[in-house]
Amino acid sequence: MRAPSDGTTLGSVSVTSPSVPARPRWTDRYGTWLLLAPGTLWMLLFLAVPMLMMVYVSFWTQKTFSIEPKLTLQSWINFFSSSTYVGALVTTVEIWAIVLFFTFILGYPTALYIGLFIRNKTTQTIVLVLCVVPFWTSFLIRVLAWRPMLGKEGAVNLLLLKLGLISHPIDVLLFTEVSVIIGMVQIYVVFMVGPVAVMLGRIDRSLIEAARDLGAGSWRIFRTIVFPLTLPGVAVGAIFVSVMVLGEFATSAALSGQKVNLLGNIIVTEVGSLKWAFAAVAGVVLTAVMGIVIAALLRAVNLREEL
Amino acid sequence: MLEIRGVRKSYGAKRALDDVSLSVRPGEYLSLLGPSGSGKSTLLRIIAGFERADAGEIYLDGKPLTAKPVHERGVGFVSQGFALFPHLTVFDNVAFGLRFRQRNPVGAPAEVKRRVDEMLELVGLGELGGRQIAQLSGGQKQRVALARTLVVDPHICLLDEPLGALDANLRRRMTIELRRIHQRLGIIFIHVTGNEIEALAMGERVVVLDQGRVLQTDAPDTVYNRPASLQVARFLNRYNTFDQRDLDGAAAADGVSCIRRDLIEVREAGYRAAAPETLTTATFVTAEYSGSIIVYFFSLPSGKVVEVEYHLSHKRPAELREGSAYALVWRTDQAMVFGSPKIAA
Repeated sequence: MRAPSDGTTLGSVSVTSPSVPARPRWTDRYGTWLLLAPGTLWMLLFLAVPMLMMVYVSFWTQKTFSIEPKLTLQSWINFFSSSTYVGALVTTVEIWAIVLFFTFILGYPTALYIGLFIRNKTTQTIVLVLCVVPFWTSFLIRVLAWRPMLGKEGAVNLLLLKLGLISHPIDVLLFTEVSVIIGMVQIYVVFMVGPVAVMLGRIDRSLIEAARDLGAGSWRIFRTIVFPLTLPGVAVGAIFVSVMVLGEFATSAALSGQKVNLLGNIIVTEVGSLKWAFAAVAGVVLTAVMGIVIAALLRAVNLREEL
Repeated sequence: MLEIRGVRKSYGAKRALDDVSLSVRPGEYLSLLGPSGSGKSTLLRIIAGFERADAGEIYLDGKPLTAKPVHERGVGFVSQGFALFPHLTVFDNVAFGLRFRQRNPVGAPAEVKRRVDEMLELVGLGELGGRQIAQLSGGQKQRVALARTLVVDPHICLLDEPLGALDANLRRRMTIELRRIHQRLGIIFIHVTGNEIEALAMGERVVVLDQGRVLQTDAPDTVYNRPASLQVARFLNRYNTFDQRDLDGAAAADGVSCIRRDLIEVREAGYRAAAPETLTTATFVTAEYSGSIIVYFFSLPSGKVVEVEYHLSHKRPAELREGSAYALVWRTDQAMVFGSPKIAA
């Protein structure tokens, strides 16, 4: 060992040496809290407080064009005794379940292809980006583009007629639940493909080789190894899709011809006619449904352990 | 009996295996030694069926293997990273092959349990069947991987750098375990490694591979004492190599002289070589002490470093002064001379 001999070395040593007791700086003591503060404040101001406000307002008294801060259960009673609103709740859940099912059925094989069969990482990224290309146009255009596709004289019917597969145009394609479901699945399927493809890309190829080496066939390997390992991706994708579908109102407004009313549409209508208390009830119900769905999905797959 | 005949494999312009032929005796423990990129893993993957050879054939007990898909070969493969299924327990990992193989899967849960438990017992993990993979240490994972492969009764067990992921202590324990397990099962084990000591310790025979070619196939002590070529001598990491210009006088014929580190004697400068001896003069640089062995480092005028090893159990350490010249002496007949001096450069 060589002893430090020149002054500069000694000088720099004394700064860090324990002989000079380091004064604990205030950043050390409060650093954690300081770093947490902006995010916490933001969440409190723009998430927690509005949510509580919404719950609070749902108990206010609704007059024709105004609300009064007099607490009452009237809006809640009205909501659950009206077949229209309970029906909207049922439709919302129904459409959510169907859309989720189809995003999975269409999204999973797509992700499987991207994540497992495309070997080249660059190609993989390019294909994933291609999936997002529809998002380069506005939401409204994407939804409205389905009208000329699905209408009575739309592209789909024309094509089927030309091919001789049908003799009369199908008229349930547009302005029905079917069109709403088609529109939603098309928009949201990407949110299922992304997370699943990421999980698939993370599966070590040697696991699949090992399973093959042990004598298992492809279907067995998929069922027992690949699929279980992508479940966290499925859960994340399902959460994305669920949150977006449950809060939807634009697709159903544009493609159902006012025939399909979701909770989102109810809220828009009620807010439009200044029925704040009522809109708040629908908002609370919708938030509760989302909470239950997310909790159930998180329960089914332990994301914290698997991600 | 496993026969590999004329196997070739290229990746684009790179030749991974160049006409490799080998025959492995029934029940043999074979080490496959080579530096990274020598093609040793490729050969293993071709035997397992993960890769297809461009040419050549592999016969297992006389039957051609290359046309068979991976899951019908009966060749067990333990990969370097163990490749355990992270979402299954130890028991379910080991049971995977028995339950899910396409050819005569074992349906009865009792039979599965009996065989899995027996195999876990054999690899020394009797108690750990219920554990999750994430709860295991490196050595335990290695054992699970081994049990998972062996439980389906493969004809051959291929081990790709099986000890590479383990620390030094575990490595020693696992070598003993591996040999014990091999003895119990009596099937062919092929052990790929880049570590010469591991290759010599484990194999009944050692195959030395470089740039896709087999350089030598022999018993460990033959490989160690009589390497077939300069490259083999270099991989062994035990030999000093000398061009003729490094040596005093016309001591040897043309070519490169190889002499094992522990066969060199250090003498005072000015020592005169007797007839059967070869001598070179070198400057002492430093010594490295590692328990039972001390290694002295010398440098030749050409800049080449020479390592001399004294086994302290039968030699006293020499008192050497840094920067001084010494005579390095060895018996000429113990050195080996290979090829032309050009390849040494």
